[in-house]
Amino acid sequence: MAVEVGGLRLRGPVLAASGTFGYGTEVPLLERRALGAMVSKGIFLRAREGTPPPRIAETPSGMLNAIGLQGPGADALVRDYAPSWAGWDFPVLVNINGESAAEYGELAARLDGVPGIAGFEINISCPNVEQGGLYFGNDPRAAATVTEAVRKRTRLPVWVKLTPMVSDIGVIARAVESSGADALCAINTFVGMSIDLNAYRPRLSFRTGGLSGPAIRPLAVHLAHQAARSVRIPVIGIGGISRAEDALEFLVAGCTAV
Amino acid sequence: MFLLDAEITGTREVASGMFVIAMRAPEIAAGVRAGQFVNLGWTRGPLLRRPFSVYRVDGETIEVVLKDVGAGTRELLAMSPGDRLSCLGPLGHGFDFETSSRTALLISGGLGVAPMPLAARDAKARGMRVTWVHGARSAEDLCRESDGDEVIWATDDGSRGVPGTAVAAAPFVGLVIACGPNRMLAAVDERWPDAHVAVETYMCCGTGVCLGCAVPLKRGGYDRACKEGPVYRAAEVDWSALPSHLHYDSVA
Repeated sequence: MAVEVGGLRLRGPVLAASGTFGYGTEVPLLERRALGAMVSKGIFLRAREGTPPPRIAETPSGMLNAIGLQGPGADALVRDYAPSWAGWDFPVLVNINGESAAEYGELAARLDGVPGIAGFEINISCPNVEQGGLYFGNDPRAAATVTEAVRKRTRLPVWVKLTPMVSDIGVIARAVESSGADALCAINTFVGMSIDLNAYRPRLSFRTGGLSGPAIRPLAVHLAHQAARSVRIPVIGIGGISRAEDALEFLVAGCTAV
Repeated sequence: MFLLDAEITGTREVASGMFVIAMRAPEIAAGVRAGQFVNLGWTRGPLLRRPFSVYRVDGETIEVVLKDVGAGTRELLAMSPGDRLSCLGPLGHGFDFETSSRTALLISGGLGVAPMPLAARDAKARGMRVTWVHGARSAEDLCRESDGDEVIWATDDGSRGVPGTAVAAAPFVGLVIACGPNRMLAAVDERWPDAHVAVETYMCCGTGVCLGCAVPLKRGGYDRACKEGPVYRAAEVDWSALPSHLHYDSVA
């Protein structure tokens, strides 16, 4: 069931979403032949420590996380992971982040042409960083500016990961499409909070976190559907998928892959 | 690392509200080291797997020890022999017994007994003399099972053995291995910075992917309890940035 998604031909419509599969080198168990592509854990140009623990909290049918985009930075990614990706039989896209549009562009330029990197997913939707992230994702002009900054610095496919924390996802989707995005990824996590009643304070040290899991799937299907109706470029559906039937819901709702 | 469909073979109570669950997991039983853990999931269980140190190994069977603390452990304890668990492991790094010391001092607080029977096994296999200081809040909270050449019991309320903490009751006899609440491990660090300690964190994937089980390090930054840990040199961990005690009962 090969699919054409935003400048890449994939052998199947099932992808590993950013953050769920690390850099692809940690887990030997997964049936890799089932993967159409992988999107690596989000990185910044420079290394980041991430947030203090606790970073995760389980909630009914879901999980809050505030990892804070811990990562080794672009140089270490190129040195330690890209060479393995170059030998794999499915493409790897890198989830890229920045504190300014210029920094997103600089990161794309640094990674452009590195063997093993097949494209970019622009993260304008991470709820767990103080600077950047969600800020770019809930303003159509900022989202367009970041997309253009990356588009200008690479010929590789550029996908944009959208946040659900907006009043109309179609507005952002169209802004990003007209700025040169090849595909959209919908959606990133919802911002949530859970309180520790023993301590009278939030269970996460960052206070808020991104909610994922089966709890958000109906919300994600709806938003992916709205995004797909708003643009001509393909949409990759993300959110609470844990079995084939879940994935099929997104495909029926108008997504090209999940 | 193996992903097994493990059949439960039995359950026994070892202290008030503390239970051991045994399951068939031949590939894990064959290679697990003291301090390594398994991540357990089950049908209609919670969304996230639950991590447990491997407690004992007997032939093709492994055991884990747990307390009835929340919805997940309650479901586990309601299972019967013949029921199956999805068992991922062995995970993490175990204790390191590469030492010139001829004696091992095991210090456990409460559920911190979890990795100790295997630690005693591995230390003895290296010809070490094993002393286990076995602490808990009170006599009824003390796990009844112990191992080693010498066992010292300690309770906070003095109802059994030495009154006070396990750390205070411990003599110094060589390689120190400790497991218990993080505040106890911080006390171990003050007395024996070179001790090997198994830390407790909230955990999600168990395989190094999600970065959820961050352990703050004194030299700065974080690493993963599930991958670089859960065993650390006590002096490496920034205890002030770790929750001193984890609550498990907050998931609906």
